[in-house]
Amino acid sequence: MNVAFSAPEAAPAVAWREVAVRYPYATAPAVGPVSLDLRKGERLLILGPSGCGKSTLLNTVTGLVPATIPAEISGEVATLGVPAASRSPAAWSASVAQLFQDADQTLCGMTVGDEVAFALENRALPEEKIVVRVDRALDRAGVPPSWRTRRTASLSGGEKQLVALAAVLAQEAEFFIADEPTAHLSPQAAARLHAVIGGQGQTFLVVDHRLDGLIDTIDRVAIIGRDGTLIADGPPRDIFRAHGARFAQEGIWRPLASDLDRLLRGIGIALDTPPLAVSEIIADLDRRPAGDQSAAGTVIRHFLWQRIAEPAEATGQPLVTLDSAACAPLFAKPVLRDVSLQIHPGETIALLGRNGAGKSTLGATLAGLLRLKGGTRTGPAGGFAFQRPETQFTEGSARAELESIVGKGSAHVDTLLSAWRLESVATQHPFELSQGQKRRLALATLTADTRWPFLVLDEPTAGLDAAACDEIASRIAEIAAEGRAVVVITHDLDFALKTCSRGIVLDGSSVAADAPLLDILRDDRLLAGAGLATPEILRLAAWMEAAPC
Amino acid sequence: MLSTLHPLPKLIVCLVWLAASIAVFDPRFQAGIVVLAALALILVERRSPLLVLALMIPFALFGFGFLTTATLFREESDFATRMAAETPFGSPAFSAGIVLFLRAIACGMVSAVFVLTTEPGRFIKALMANWRLSPRIGYALFSALHLVPDLASEAQQIRLARAMKRARTPRRIPGPVETASLVVPLLAFAIRRANRAAIAMEARGLGAASARTIVGAPQSRSADAIFVIASLALLAILFILTSVVWRAW
Repeated sequence: MNVAFSAPEAAPAVAWREVAVRYPYATAPAVGPVSLDLRKGERLLILGPSGCGKSTLLNTVTGLVPATIPAEISGEVATLGVPAASRSPAAWSASVAQLFQDADQTLCGMTVGDEVAFALENRALPEEKIVVRVDRALDRAGVPPSWRTRRTASLSGGEKQLVALAAVLAQEAEFFIADEPTAHLSPQAAARLHAVIGGQGQTFLVVDHRLDGLIDTIDRVAIIGRDGTLIADGPPRDIFRAHGARFAQEGIWRPLASDLDRLLRGIGIALDTPPLAVSEIIADLDRRPAGDQSAAGTVIRHFLWQRIAEPAEATGQPLVTLDSAACAPLFAKPVLRDVSLQIHPGETIALLGRNGAGKSTLGATLAGLLRLKGGTRTGPAGGFAFQRPETQFTEGSARAELESIVGKGSAHVDTLLSAWRLESVATQHPFELSQGQKRRLALATLTADTRWPFLVLDEPTAGLDAAACDEIASRIAEIAAEGRAVVVITHDLDFALKTCSRGIVLDGSSVAADAPLLDILRDDRLLAGAGLATPEILRLAAWMEAAPC
Repeated sequence: MLSTLHPLPKLIVCLVWLAASIAVFDPRFQAGIVVLAALALILVERRSPLLVLALMIPFALFGFGFLTTATLFREESDFATRMAAETPFGSPAFSAGIVLFLRAIACGMVSAVFVLTTEPGRFIKALMANWRLSPRIGYALFSALHLVPDLASEAQQIRLARAMKRARTPRRIPGPVETASLVVPLLAFAIRRANRAAIAMEARGLGAASARTIVGAPQSRSADAIFVIASLALLAILFILTSVVWRAW
């Protein structure tokens, strides 16, 4: 994406000065001390491992922390030139639009039309103006007009995220804050958001883990480390080239191109300008002599091998079979009809489709949690990781959750806590954890349970840092190697490629494709129809197939 | 059709019908209200007769308590017994119980007509636009109204998660032990939900300005006046029929 970078004005949109936030009863600060400026007109991305306090830092901008969310705050936060605490969080809404990590924190439970109009009504804008802005916001977010009268509570997780996006876009504020905006969005919907961030005239402060497609719209990146302090800050190209290895160690996301750039520099192939997109690397390699291309080919082959799962043949008796199944959520009408498929031992399957396509419903049906409205299901029950991890928690601490699976006092609990980086929060109640920590705990409990012949993971990577995603990927490989199967419901096609060999695409209330994942992701027409997009890494694979190396 | 009416005249009409049901101690009048409310739901709103019958069950159970109290504990229901002395059900105590039983169903059905034909969002908007309800209270009320379906949805999610841990499909209807075990997690959910709604409303400017626009507030139309006149006339006819004509027979 070509983006004309903005020319930031001198006065900062936000200035944090030695800011540290400590929540009640916490022994250590959730974030800080941090000193950082965001200039007006600038687009700043904050990156860091999950649980490092990124969301807390965002909530200080409008004074939600500590005015609405109790916390002890030290240092100074100035927003648009005045102390953040000088106005109430509500008074900031005219100039600051904030999209929260959890869509339920942005939405108030009304109908879609009312949700999008809510902030504008609060500002007492004329009704005609509100109607125009609502239409424009729904269009920009890609929300179909037919949703206007639907209650937001009846939407799927991804659909809620789209409506939340429309609701904050409608504010048309000079300063836009987004916390994990693409976590539950399909690739097409995420691209629409990236186009918004790439627009001119606004200041953007974004926290997100899905970097490809986003990073080339960003002016500056600030990195927060595990201890909640700032460890790097600068233009993305320079930052990822200078600190990429350290970020990898800390489990912080990097653009795909940045990782490849680091490997290529290791063999003496360095691009003049640090790349942010794979296409930049391909363009550079195309200009290089055959010797360089051959050397690069060796590195790229290994790079692809680490990131694209090997095709695998289905073997053995199917673990679970759906035959002409009509799948419906509890007490609702079928959302999928005539679904016929089998899952075999050792298979890893990516379940793909646009927001609201029925992926979670099919996943819960496969796991045996939902009764069919038609057709048949044969096979044992499977484990299911819910999209909202809180749903799974029944114990009083993270340690107790794990002990309920592997047994009280088991040494394996400490191993699991360490593997999923939950040692520091082992005694905390699961509801007190950050979103990323909650998801890690839910996945740790599910994957540690060996009762299930197969697992269904619903959006397992949403809100997770790179280290946690790598942990999940390796656990999926281990589970498949044990002869169990894993179904991954995801919008993260890079993760799907890394972990799954088979793909199932849902579209039009049924299965649109069931084939090797690589074949599916190379079918542009199928991808476009199902709200998906070709992952960047496949451009590299295509170059390898065409290149003379 | 009732769903398209302005919520406030409809509320006033329903309150008048409720007041009449409380004031008139006549089983025929109460039965008439029940039948008319049921017909309104079935014929005008196209609701399933089975649904309407199912709606009556909780009110009937509630009313059955009055019936047994009036029949078995006459001292406690002396006033009702005296009021029902002229009813055609033989024993005054049993007649009083029948009136109280029917009244519970009648009040329940009138309330059901209002609730089933009024979208909560429109109702709150009408209250804010016409009766100057504070937006803070209005949206708090709105959140509370929506909490019920949200709790039901959350309960289903928790049941699915527990069923998954037990490796079996959840029962269609939870048993008493399972229902009791859902209380604490649902209470925690309700607190979290309320907290999130408060943050969402605060972050989007609720209460920041003294004035507020209300988009799509219900507008009064001639149909509302016709509805008010027709429904009050119907109530008067029912009263006359049951208290004068019927008794004259």
